[in-house]
Amino acid sequence: MLSHQLKRKLDKANNKNLPQTSKTDDDDDFNSDSDFYDSDVDEESSDLTDSEADLSGSDEVDSDDETDEVNTPSKADGSDEVDSEDETVDTGSKPVSTTSSPSIIKKIDEYAEHDTSDEEDIRNTIGNVPKNWYDEYEHIGYDWDGGKIEKAAQRDQLDSFLQRIEDPEFWRTVKDPQTGKEIVLSDDDVKLIKRINSQRIPDENFNEYAPWIEWFTSEVMKMPLRKFPEHKRSFLPSKIEAKRVSRLVHALKMGWIKTNAQYKRLKAKKKDQFYMLWQTDSDAEKMRRIHDHIPAPKRFLPGHAESYNPPSEYLFDERELQQWHKLEETPWKRKLHFIPEKYGSLREVPAYPRYIKERFLRCLDLYMCPRGIKLKLTIEPEALVPKLPSPRNLQPFPTFLAITYEGHADMVRTIDTDKTGQYLVSGSDDCTIKIWEINTGRCLKTIATDAVVRCVRWCPNQALSLILVAAGNKVILVNPHVGDFLINSKTDSLLKDSPKNDTIINERVRATVQWTEPSDTEYDRGFRAILQHFKEVTQVTWHGKGDYFAVIMPDGQNRSVLIGQVSKRRSQLPFTKPKGLVQSVIFHPSKPYLFVATQRHIRIYDLIGQALVKKLMSNSQWIATMDIHPGGDNLLVATYDRKVLWFDLDLSTKPYQTLRLHGTAARGVSFHKRYPLFASCSDDKSVIVSHGMVYNDLMLNPLIVPLKRFEDHKSCNDFGVFDVRFHPLQPWVFSAGADGTIKLYCN
Amino acid sequence: MDTGDSGPQLEICFITKQDIYAVPSVPFSVPQDINNVHLNKLLNELLRDYTGQLKQVQFDFLVNGQILRLPLVDHLKDFNVSTETTIDVEYIERTEAPEPENALLHDDWIGGVQVADKWVLTGCYDHSVNIWTVHGKHESMSQEHTNMVKSVSWLKQSDPEGGFVTVSHDLTGMLWTWRPGDILPLPVIMLRGHSRAIDSVGVSPNSERLATGGCDTHLKVWSASVDVDDNYEPRPKKIKPNTHLPSRTPIHTLQGHKENIVSVQWLEPQLICTASMDHTIKLWDTELGGLQSEIVAEKAFLDASWSHLCRSIIACSADRHIRLYDPRSTEGSVCKMIFTSHSLWVSAITWSQTDDHLFMSGSYDECVKLWDTRCPKAPLYDLSGHQGKVLCVDWSNPKHLVSGGTDNSLHIFKNRHGN
Repeated sequence: MLSHQLKRKLDKANNKNLPQTSKTDDDDDFNSDSDFYDSDVDEESSDLTDSEADLSGSDEVDSDDETDEVNTPSKADGSDEVDSEDETVDTGSKPVSTTSSPSIIKKIDEYAEHDTSDEEDIRNTIGNVPKNWYDEYEHIGYDWDGGKIEKAAQRDQLDSFLQRIEDPEFWRTVKDPQTGKEIVLSDDDVKLIKRINSQRIPDENFNEYAPWIEWFTSEVMKMPLRKFPEHKRSFLPSKIEAKRVSRLVHALKMGWIKTNAQYKRLKAKKKDQFYMLWQTDSDAEKMRRIHDHIPAPKRFLPGHAESYNPPSEYLFDERELQQWHKLEETPWKRKLHFIPEKYGSLREVPAYPRYIKERFLRCLDLYMCPRGIKLKLTIEPEALVPKLPSPRNLQPFPTFLAITYEGHADMVRTIDTDKTGQYLVSGSDDCTIKIWEINTGRCLKTIATDAVVRCVRWCPNQALSLILVAAGNKVILVNPHVGDFLINSKTDSLLKDSPKNDTIINERVRATVQWTEPSDTEYDRGFRAILQHFKEVTQVTWHGKGDYFAVIMPDGQNRSVLIGQVSKRRSQLPFTKPKGLVQSVIFHPSKPYLFVATQRHIRIYDLIGQALVKKLMSNSQWIATMDIHPGGDNLLVATYDRKVLWFDLDLSTKPYQTLRLHGTAARGVSFHKRYPLFASCSDDKSVIVSHGMVYNDLMLNPLIVPLKRFEDHKSCNDFGVFDVRFHPLQPWVFSAGADGTIKLYCN
Repeated sequence: MDTGDSGPQLEICFITKQDIYAVPSVPFSVPQDINNVHLNKLLNELLRDYTGQLKQVQFDFLVNGQILRLPLVDHLKDFNVSTETTIDVEYIERTEAPEPENALLHDDWIGGVQVADKWVLTGCYDHSVNIWTVHGKHESMSQEHTNMVKSVSWLKQSDPEGGFVTVSHDLTGMLWTWRPGDILPLPVIMLRGHSRAIDSVGVSPNSERLATGGCDTHLKVWSASVDVDDNYEPRPKKIKPNTHLPSRTPIHTLQGHKENIVSVQWLEPQLICTASMDHTIKLWDTELGGLQSEIVAEKAFLDASWSHLCRSIIACSADRHIRLYDPRSTEGSVCKMIFTSHSLWVSAITWSQTDDHLFMSGSYDECVKLWDTRCPKAPLYDLSGHQGKVLCVDWSNPKHLVSGGTDNSLHIFKNRHGN
């Protein structure tokens, strides 16, 4: 590097074309200046030339010469040395200069910034030849255009001496050997030369003592990181790989594996293939072992008794030991199959004599034990409760007590509404029936009878104004004289003239019932016909058309059920044999069927075909009463053993649903004629209104949702509510209580 | 104004439509939990300052169209109104409490009542028709009907001498003439045609027609003329108890209801409003003889009343609520408001004839209540006194609020408001 910089400086000096000084400079003159040459210049300069030689890299001879040349000036003056330097540069750069011709044409030093070998002075094109060849010529060489480069004027000794005296710059004037011109060195050049000579770094700005940055550690580690040498296998071919390859080769040869091309060919050859769709089914057992692994039976963990040093309570006392020995014959009955023993240390524990046997038994267990998966059914209690809609979504239904009908002096046993929903009739233990105006709670009429009124039923025929009243042994047809005047009078006229009965009345019927005309006082009370029975009548019910009605006398044995006809004023006994204590009868709303409830069963008779159609099992001890859904396919039964049963006649002869909502005997049930509602009442003073939706779709079972419980009645003689009836048009319900009141609950 | 100085404040501005009580509309800062008592005090002080009026006047305050009953901030919270802005508080003179004036004791339940001028006409369940003065003097009585009288109406509101009409459960209605001073009202014409009990009667505004409805679900329109010559048909041959009376048959029979018609009222000379227990209110056009429109509800109606002033129907059903219907609205719910305070069925209801906000209702819970439509949460006043179900109420004479019930007594309250 240093030499390169130097060379450049020299070049610049050459360009100045200063008058060249003679090579034979006076040594003496330089003496004054020689003080800047140090004594140990020799070594340094030789070092320099070495580096030069490396750079030039051409012929050895030249460089040798040069070293000689350089070495000589070290004893002589500085200018000489500079010259020799120049020469060495020239020789090194000659081959390059010939190739880079454009630099001359441009006349611009394009390499001013960088050190390259191209920057040699190449104005003289004579090449790398000794300069003395041109000694005898006027020129010293040729420029790029082929013109001669003139030699500078040669001065003789005297001239040069004179110049030395006159020219103050003489000491720094050097001669360019290339062009033969003299160059005056600038101050910088001189300074540079001085620095080189004093063996300092030529660049002034270079800080020799800059802090050292230790890029790599200078400390040498004593021990290597890995001591052991490279393993042998790292430079031996792998035997395993060789084996693997040979195996692959073998497999290929044998045709066990195939190349992609072979596969392609095979695939092309293959056509639609059929396979066994259910093949895996036969392998079920094989797959089960994989998918449904049955774990081996677990062993019991050892307890404290098995310890070598068990707590004393685990050790057998006399009695336990005796017991243990007593079961010698039946060892499987023992609680423990060994006698717990205590040892001071584990060392003292003897060998376990049963070890082999127990291992064997365990193996037998694993081997012989039948294993099956126990399917455990986990049913949440919530899942058992059926999903019922919220009562709020089942509106309308009765929600609050609206009107109380007060006036009866004793328990109200029975109530019924007329078909228009305007009037209510009630029968009571005070031997009266009362007609009420529903909307206002006004008692319109009170009709006295002779006995306790057990049942009142309004005639469903709208053209008739009739109420059937069961009081004592009598059944009375009453015209209440409310509502339509025309209908009332028509009813009266219809019942006035009793039709002539041509048929002879059966003796058995005559003994059971007698139709009588009311007396005048009774007629004024509204009585239109009186049926005198031989036993007490508990229930009456109308057929849907309002002409036939059924009467029950539970004590009447085989004459307990009686069917009467208003238009013909005639009764008949449909049954000849008693089937039990008849509790309730009811007509099917559309078909000619009669439902007869005895204490435990309900029988359905076909009245036209005179045959038993069905027998329903109630599973209860004592049926109280029943009501039929207006559709005719569902039956509600109240029983004295607290149950309300819903029978779906299409479904089964057993109850579809049993509602155990009442605390005591259920006494009445009723369906609403229009809304999907039913109500039940019981002796616990409560009336329960439920949603009972019957779907036309045979696939859907009825939906039953208990909705509301009313407990407004007071209890009287352990009786609560006797009867419950719905308003025929509105979603309102009436309840007849033992406290002598009737209550209306509305929505 | 010194109305309390602690707590958050609200800006209010008093406005009124009653010019005599006007105060400058300057915003005031009041505590936010101010109630109507304090507002009253504040307003009265203001009035004394501005108008020099010394008499204390009781006001009611309307905020957002509803009468203030709660502390102001709670009231605003109910309406989700911002408390940041100035709140317009409209004030109106408070409706004064009606004061009990008289109780007229009858022999039986009172089914219907109507007042014209000072004459009170009542129909009783003992088949009698009575005329009283509002001061409690029994003027006359007749028992021509053979069953309980359910509804009565004067033919001319202004003039009792124009006669009256009664309808009864004996399937007939009767037109009567009566002059003040007569001991017996004179039955003139019998209205025959209903096949079941008649429950309600209404007289047209021009007193030319009347309409009856009853349990046979038919609405029948009759001529209201008391002139016997207006007989449209010869007397039926059938022997009736009241054979001496000429009978009249209906001009129209309008069918459409499915159940008992409980209320009949004429809106216009050709428009009848009926409420029925089949859950509907129907408007009938007598000119065309057909149904004009209907309102279908959830519950059976027990009574309804139409107001000419606010042109809406107030109706009570077989539940505890009173509902306000706007028959003109076609979209959304026709039920505009629900008034709930009664504990049992509300059986009778009527609008005020002079105020478009006031109405009175009678219920089976033995209570008569005076309501303001701007105060739906609670009635203005409870008119107590009945000891049985209230079956009928009347406010035809703006000065008297009349109600009758199952305690056989007719209670007359004097209305002091607006006189």
